[in-house]
Amino acid sequence: MVEISSDVIRGYNDTMILSILLKEPSYGYEISKQIKTITDEKYIIKETTLYSAFTRMEKNGFIESFVAEQDPEGNSKKRTYYRITDKGREYYESKCEEWELTKDVVEKFIQLR
Amino acid sequence: METIKNYLEAMFANLPNTAEVKKAKAELLNMMEDKYNELISEGQSENSAVGTVISEFGNLDELAEDLGLTKEVEETREREAKVSRRFLRNEEVLDYLNDKRNSGMMIGIGVMLCIISVCFPILGSLVFHEGAEIYSVAGMFICIGVAIALFVFNGIRLSEWSFLEKEPCQVDMQTAQQVREKRKTFKTTYALMIALGVMLCAMCWLPIAVMQTEIYVSSIFVMVGIGVFLFIYSNSVMDSYDTILKLNDSETISGNYGKENEMEYINKPAQAMMEVYWPTIVCLYLIISFITFEWGITWIIWPIAGILNKILRIALTKEA
Repeated sequence: MVEISSDVIRGYNDTMILSILLKEPSYGYEISKQIKTITDEKYIIKETTLYSAFTRMEKNGFIESFVAEQDPEGNSKKRTYYRITDKGREYYESKCEEWELTKDVVEKFIQLR
Repeated sequence: METIKNYLEAMFANLPNTAEVKKAKAELLNMMEDKYNELISEGQSENSAVGTVISEFGNLDELAEDLGLTKEVEETREREAKVSRRFLRNEEVLDYLNDKRNSGMMIGIGVMLCIISVCFPILGSLVFHEGAEIYSVAGMFICIGVAIALFVFNGIRLSEWSFLEKEPCQVDMQTAQQVREKRKTFKTTYALMIALGVMLCAMCWLPIAVMQTEIYVSSIFVMVGIGVFLFIYSNSVMDSYDTILKLNDSETISGNYGKENEMEYINKPAQAMMEVYWPTIVCLYLIISFITFEWGITWIIWPIAGILNKILRIALTKEA
């Protein structure tokens, strides 16, 4: 079975996370679960990858964090939530365009036997 | 869930003890906990849930880079390579605590014997008729001899553990927590022993004052001897716990294991009260003594204040 190499996917972890945050603010585990479901369990993001993406994007001003005492279901558990900023939206757009281009370029060389 | 916590602690053990790292650790634990709970609620066994969570954790190098810790991680690795920390197994720690307790007991008895040995000449000169002096002197030297034997024996036995002070050592989190629990349990006994010791020393003149017989001079030494034994023994046990809890490098996350905030009071008024406790006692003592001029009685304030202080400190400090 083929597995995604982490080198290839690395540049697009941010894109995935931002795309999920476009809909609504969310927290660590919820985001990793969504990535898993959306990709039909083909990609499972590691906890350390996720957290380092959070810290990096927060430093760059793409996302903001805030602490909520309750989750949407009303369970009281202190969690750090993340929301996307305008700068983050712009970055997301540019990453999408970049991917279209990358895809076009790489695809020209792909021949499945 | 314990396994996951321990795994995370072990991964972070040698990272620097900074707010950033602590936050990262807390966040990661949160995510792992969420995942674990969900897997369990889906009907997975505990073992397989733990396995999945740990296998999907990733590695810390990546994280270190984004937290700007690459330098620190490198430094810790270099330091580790230069002076490798000796890792103490759980049984070793328990052995050490046991040895320290026993030696505290024996050294305490030794010192007590030295103090009490003086009783023999005193009793000899009072009770026995002349010519029996030789026995009382012999008794004294036997006591001192036994004491010296105890000191030497324990000196040799404890030298086995001297590496704890010379080499950098480390204990794991479970051991640290175990020691911390022991320390907590011992705290009350410790306070009682010290209070009893202070009381014995402060009251040692009481028998002779009451009985007015010279023979009770020896009771001074017996009471002081027992008091000193209590100090030595209880401090030796307490010291063994503190030694273990201070082993880990305090600059890394592992330095937090089993840490107890020394002397944290339950609230502000309690803290303020304890800060002025001793000056207040001094004032009280002087005022009462000068007014009544009964210096022979007023000294009793001291042992009472000492015991009260211990009790208040136990009652008003927060459990970490």
